[in-house]
Amino acid sequence: MNKPITLIGLLGTTLDGAKGKKRWERWRPTVSLFQHEDLLIDRLELLHEERFESLGEIVEDDVLAVSPDTKVKRHHVSFGDAWDFESVYATLHDFARGYVFRDDREYLVHITTGTHVAQICSFILTESRHFPARLIQSSPPRPRSAGGPGSFEIIDLDLSRYDRIAQRFRQETDEHLSFLKAGIETQNDAFNKLMEQIEHVATASVDPMLLMGPTGAGKSQLARRIFQLKKQRQKVSGDLVEVNCATLRGDHAMSALFGHTKGAFTGAQKERPGLLRAANKGLLFLDEIGELGLDEQAMLLRAIEQKVFLPVGADREVESDFQLIAGTNRDLRAAVTKGEFREDLLARIDLWSFTLPGLRDRREDIPPNLAFELDRCGARMNTNVTFNAEARKRFLDFAMSESASWRGNFRDFGAAITRMATLAPGGRIDVATVDDEIARLQESWGGAASSGGDDHEALHEVLGDAADALDLFDRVQLAEVIRVCRASKTLSAAGRALFAESRKKRKTANDADRLRKYLGKWSLTFDQVTAR
Amino acid sequence: MAMDLIDIDGSFGEGGGQIVRTSLGLSLLTGRPVEIRNVRAGRGKPGLLRQHLCALRAATEIGEAEVKGAALGSTFVRFVPKSIKSGRYSFDVGSAGSATLVLQTVLPALLSADAPSELTITGGTDNPFAPPIDFLKFAFAPLLARMGGDLKLDVERRGYYPRGGGRFIATITPGALKPITLTDPVEHRVSAIAYIAGLKKSIATRELNVLREAFSLTRDQMRVVELDANWGPGNTLSVSLEASGVTEIVTGFGEKRVRAETVAERVAEEARAILDAKVPVGEHLADQQLLLCALAGGGSFLTLPPSLHTRTQATVLKRFLPVEIDLREVDASRWRVTVS
Repeated sequence: MNKPITLIGLLGTTLDGAKGKKRWERWRPTVSLFQHEDLLIDRLELLHEERFESLGEIVEDDVLAVSPDTKVKRHHVSFGDAWDFESVYATLHDFARGYVFRDDREYLVHITTGTHVAQICSFILTESRHFPARLIQSSPPRPRSAGGPGSFEIIDLDLSRYDRIAQRFRQETDEHLSFLKAGIETQNDAFNKLMEQIEHVATASVDPMLLMGPTGAGKSQLARRIFQLKKQRQKVSGDLVEVNCATLRGDHAMSALFGHTKGAFTGAQKERPGLLRAANKGLLFLDEIGELGLDEQAMLLRAIEQKVFLPVGADREVESDFQLIAGTNRDLRAAVTKGEFREDLLARIDLWSFTLPGLRDRREDIPPNLAFELDRCGARMNTNVTFNAEARKRFLDFAMSESASWRGNFRDFGAAITRMATLAPGGRIDVATVDDEIARLQESWGGAASSGGDDHEALHEVLGDAADALDLFDRVQLAEVIRVCRASKTLSAAGRALFAESRKKRKTANDADRLRKYLGKWSLTFDQVTAR
Repeated sequence: MAMDLIDIDGSFGEGGGQIVRTSLGLSLLTGRPVEIRNVRAGRGKPGLLRQHLCALRAATEIGEAEVKGAALGSTFVRFVPKSIKSGRYSFDVGSAGSATLVLQTVLPALLSADAPSELTITGGTDNPFAPPIDFLKFAFAPLLARMGGDLKLDVERRGYYPRGGGRFIATITPGALKPITLTDPVEHRVSAIAYIAGLKKSIATRELNVLREAFSLTRDQMRVVELDANWGPGNTLSVSLEASGVTEIVTGFGEKRVRAETVAERVAEEARAILDAKVPVGEHLADQQLLLCALAGGGSFLTLPPSLHTRTQATVLKRFLPVEIDLREVDASRWRVTVS
């Protein structure tokens, strides 16, 4: 059985606009759709501005006259300027969002009426499935004087022949997001959502932004991309000025940031404009803002709020209009409690605060980032760097495992790739290069993590490839059991060591049996585990 | 009566909506279920159109029928009526279909119901390709009355394409039909009415002028009827050919870009064929008279050479009713139709 059809359309103030008796002699697109013998529309949602109320009534009456079973609902919309893309889109978008689309109905969006802008917006909203509908286009009779309802065409954008149009629209929306992510196809939902938010804020706001996250999480990279995005969209005309506040210590900090006049202090032989002025009409990225001294913090706050500040040695304030992006890996709230960071400055800069996850919190993004880093190395070294399949698997297994702590996040990750790319014989990274790099990383992350590699090896020795399928929970437990077994001469000795605490509380205990059963769960025996 | 399912090939003969409507009407009358395949198979827009759905819906309601395939574009319909429920009905078909076609579909069944019915039907009353309301009122209903049936038509308002909005009330009183014989050549009296709605009156007078010259009409044989302009535009030219109590109606409709004279000349030509042949039953009445004879179980009449429409009608009638239909040529312009 066919589903009942609902038509959503704008009142065409010109084409539908005939009044008086003669209107029946004119082709009117909205009314015409209800006169076709082979199209039965159950419901009409007719959108129009309130000032076209009387025309809306006529069209409603005439639709009911030619199609008495149709239900007509008119909706007042307010486009303001029907040629203004933004307001038309917003109005139609609001309508689509507020409308309850039902599965047991089919929807058609009429694109013949309304301004060209409205037609384009209807198309986009249908393509994006805000209107889960097909498009319908009505055409007058040919020749027009022939009379009759003319013809209609139903366009289903889901059909593959419209894919190319659809792709073009999708591409445009994706481009900006992809831009922030440097074109890396990240998989982590939380990260992708974060990037979406940042994209919105970067485009819409000139207020300060605070990027939080562990060192090496990519704060500077992101700040650079935000700047490029703003530049691309012509939201800034100035430059990006980047500085790590950890490098601005002592007397030097003030003049580096705010500038100084000639002769302001010993050694100030010429005037210096300072970083804030260099960032005028641009973007200032202050990384490690928690390292800034309290005096500088006070001056910075005034510069953000008033857009003026006093260079060292000057008696007149200067102006600079910049957007601030601050980066920190410290907990600034704790710094406020300790009196190391100004509460008012924090309040001002954490209006838009975003926490970038460390690499270990988005392990699924390691493969796409690996491809990206390889390309980058290749470009830098002027050669194409690749992994062989086994080496690639070995590295990813390690990189994505819990035993890789990625303490330095992308800094560690990038460095690892660069080292392997440089050492790779003939630009091809092999298993030996990977193994060396894994060892180097584990060493740099310190002792605790290094046992991870051994665990991995031990499990592989006794379980083979099945070791890869273990949950972390089991892996840790089983690895330690194997370690104890190997350090023990007999099953009973191992059992005593493993169950020492419960032994103290009970009179009799069959520790050896408990251990045998545990190993049996993995189809292992003590001898298998200890055979090397 | 056997309740075997009757299987109708909708692509047969004239192959249009007529087969659908006649089959539904006869299924409703006889209580025999029907399956129609290949509905309007050869047409540009095959399957059921809105106007057929209107007729199907009316038949479904009156017959309390079980229906499959009642959807736009469906090329298969299965119709299983349970009863003939007389009473008051109201159908609104918009401009999509002719209101008169809906009445024609359900009329045979309501004529044989056990109580009178009153149908209020809204839609087009004067559509091309459908019997105009004047034909039903002045040609069909009187003939039906002579045979023992009773159809009263009260036209509230005429409705023209594309606006529709016409309305009439049909009161149907059941009664057994008696066979009738109309086989003698006749001399007709001609009269004409030009209806006009929301158009210049001169259109009507120009049409009547053509008829006056063609048939030497006197002033009292011609009328102009001006209808409510709000329900226009529309124009019907209705020519009545009456002989010994039987009337045939020939109709023309004003069209955009067609001169009033041309409309009238076409009507005159059609009327002239009937006048010259001296047949009491013209092309339009022949279809209906064939049906009435089949319902009465017999009868015969003299008419023009049968159209494909009439031949299709005869074939469908024979599928449902225990009748023999004989179409026999009398001479070049006349045929005799006998139902037994």
